[in-house]
Amino acid sequence: MSTARTAPFRFRPSRFVVFATLAFAVCFYGIPLFWLFLSGTRSESSLFSDAPFTLGTWDAFVHTWTNLTTYNNFQILTWATNSLIYSVGGVLLALLTSIPAGYALAASDFPGRRLILVVTLIAMITPSTAVVLPIFLEMNLLGLNNTYAGLILASGFFPFGVYLTYVYFSTSLPKGVMDSARVDGANRFQLFSRIALPLARPIISLVAFFSFIGIWSNYFLAFVLLSDDRLYNLPVGLTALISSSGALSNLPSNDVPIRKPEVILAAILVILPVLLIFIIAQRFVRSGTLSGAEKG
Amino acid sequence: MAATAIEDRNRARAARRKGRRDTRMSYLLLLPYLLLLLMFGIFPVAYAFGLSFVDTIEMVFYGVSNYNFVLTDFRVPQAAINVIWFVGIWVAITMIGVAILSLMLDTVGRRTAATLRTIYFLPGAVTSSAIVVLWLFVLDPAVSPFQIAWHAFGWQNSADVITGIGLAGVFSIMAYFSGSGGWIVVFGGALSSLPTEVLEAARIDGANRFQLATRIKLPMIWRSLVLMGVLSFAGGLQLFVEPQLMGLAGPQFAQNDWSLNQMAFQYAFRMGDFGASAALSTLLVGSSIIIALVLVFATRFYKID
Repeated sequence: MSTARTAPFRFRPSRFVVFATLAFAVCFYGIPLFWLFLSGTRSESSLFSDAPFTLGTWDAFVHTWTNLTTYNNFQILTWATNSLIYSVGGVLLALLTSIPAGYALAASDFPGRRLILVVTLIAMITPSTAVVLPIFLEMNLLGLNNTYAGLILASGFFPFGVYLTYVYFSTSLPKGVMDSARVDGANRFQLFSRIALPLARPIISLVAFFSFIGIWSNYFLAFVLLSDDRLYNLPVGLTALISSSGALSNLPSNDVPIRKPEVILAAILVILPVLLIFIIAQRFVRSGTLSGAEKG
Repeated sequence: MAATAIEDRNRARAARRKGRRDTRMSYLLLLPYLLLLLMFGIFPVAYAFGLSFVDTIEMVFYGVSNYNFVLTDFRVPQAAINVIWFVGIWVAITMIGVAILSLMLDTVGRRTAATLRTIYFLPGAVTSSAIVVLWLFVLDPAVSPFQIAWHAFGWQNSADVITGIGLAGVFSIMAYFSGSGGWIVVFGGALSSLPTEVLEAARIDGANRFQLATRIKLPMIWRSLVLMGVLSFAGGLQLFVEPQLMGLAGPQFAQNDWSLNQMAFQYAFRMGDFGASAALSTLLVGSSIIIALVLVFATRFYKID
């Protein structure tokens, strides 16, 4: 502990450890993604024979892209469209259900409020993967397996959104404004639609952000609920593409035009939308994840 | 006197009426969400619970036979051990990795920290099947960007790398790669909002950066780190996607009954035994709900009033 009272420049070994660790982490987190995007432009032979960080050619990229998109009658575009349908539908449903619910829990007291809150928290903490098979068993009973509606309904259930909205409104509703609006004769619904909703823009984006990421990348639920490959979303389609072509297995190649470069490009297609949203909205993660949890 | 009493009574009645209207409006606003909660939260869990006591092939009451069947299936204890290994490794590297990187980032310049945090955070975009696909490339020495490292260990092909690291280790790395960056961003926020007076006082008392990090900052974020650990633990128990997709690298890598959730899936989809699937699912959901109840009632992590 003799270093405790000395000047900063003597700490160099410890600074070295800090920067070496941070740099190692940059490699661990950064290199796989960097490699993936670089490899989207490379040909199959380049993947094996050139150095890992070689940039491919425009021609190779176009060739791969054509192979991927035209394969099986433009199947990947169908899956991309499906992903879009599930995501837009699911996010809208999540918003329509969780924003009013979170508001009601924050702005008023009524019998059963605490129970609803507690059940919501339990549903939120329970990993969604824990309920996938029970949901499958239920959908089987209801005959909603293999439908757009089934997956959209299931992914629109978003207790985390309710909790985020509840926390947001419990701290940000201006009590004075609410009271005077009520004195002026505004009813409950008007309080919600005229005062709370205009204030809700930040929480709407936050809930949309988290629900979109969850729904776009949902594999397990989609995999279990959908057996018709025309209804697959992109994450399930990606694996269907690989298992039907054996592209990752390093076995003697067959004449399916889906090989490693096509798989890489398909994986990029799955990742890219979330990646772009992450870059735009990184601060959302900070404001959302621990909200309501006490500090420290 | 009498007039004000009547007035008071009228006012109280009006308030009650208004209260009832308020309550009705609250329920109305909650209704759409409550329907989904019923349909995708409460009902499936209750239905699986009920189904777990039924022989779903003969459709007769079956007592605890499904549970007996599941627990005596030799693959289930093995899957439980696998999952515990995975959860142990993953939670440990997540807590240690996130704590160390967050504390270190808090000691470098603001702009450097922000850039590095973004780099650590971006793999969070790689989820579910894409993460397995990406790592199957990374684990294959023939194409991997880390091929120098794999060759240094003497690993020549994917099988060498995967057996070298071990499946639990492989799944932990995949999960850590994608899941930890978001937490580092969260802890970046938590650390920057620590009270500056305390940090300043410690610095004046002669604490160096290391002491500041381990004696002052770490205890202050400890509760959130534990919350992260518990949430990761609960999520890790449900492992499904990573082992399920290993077979993409070739049939010799397939792991169809590696995790507990995969077993529940196998019962329903391979054996058509929904009762057994429901029994195992009930056990898995039950453990998650117990963890959730502890977090909600025994800690004060979440705001319920």
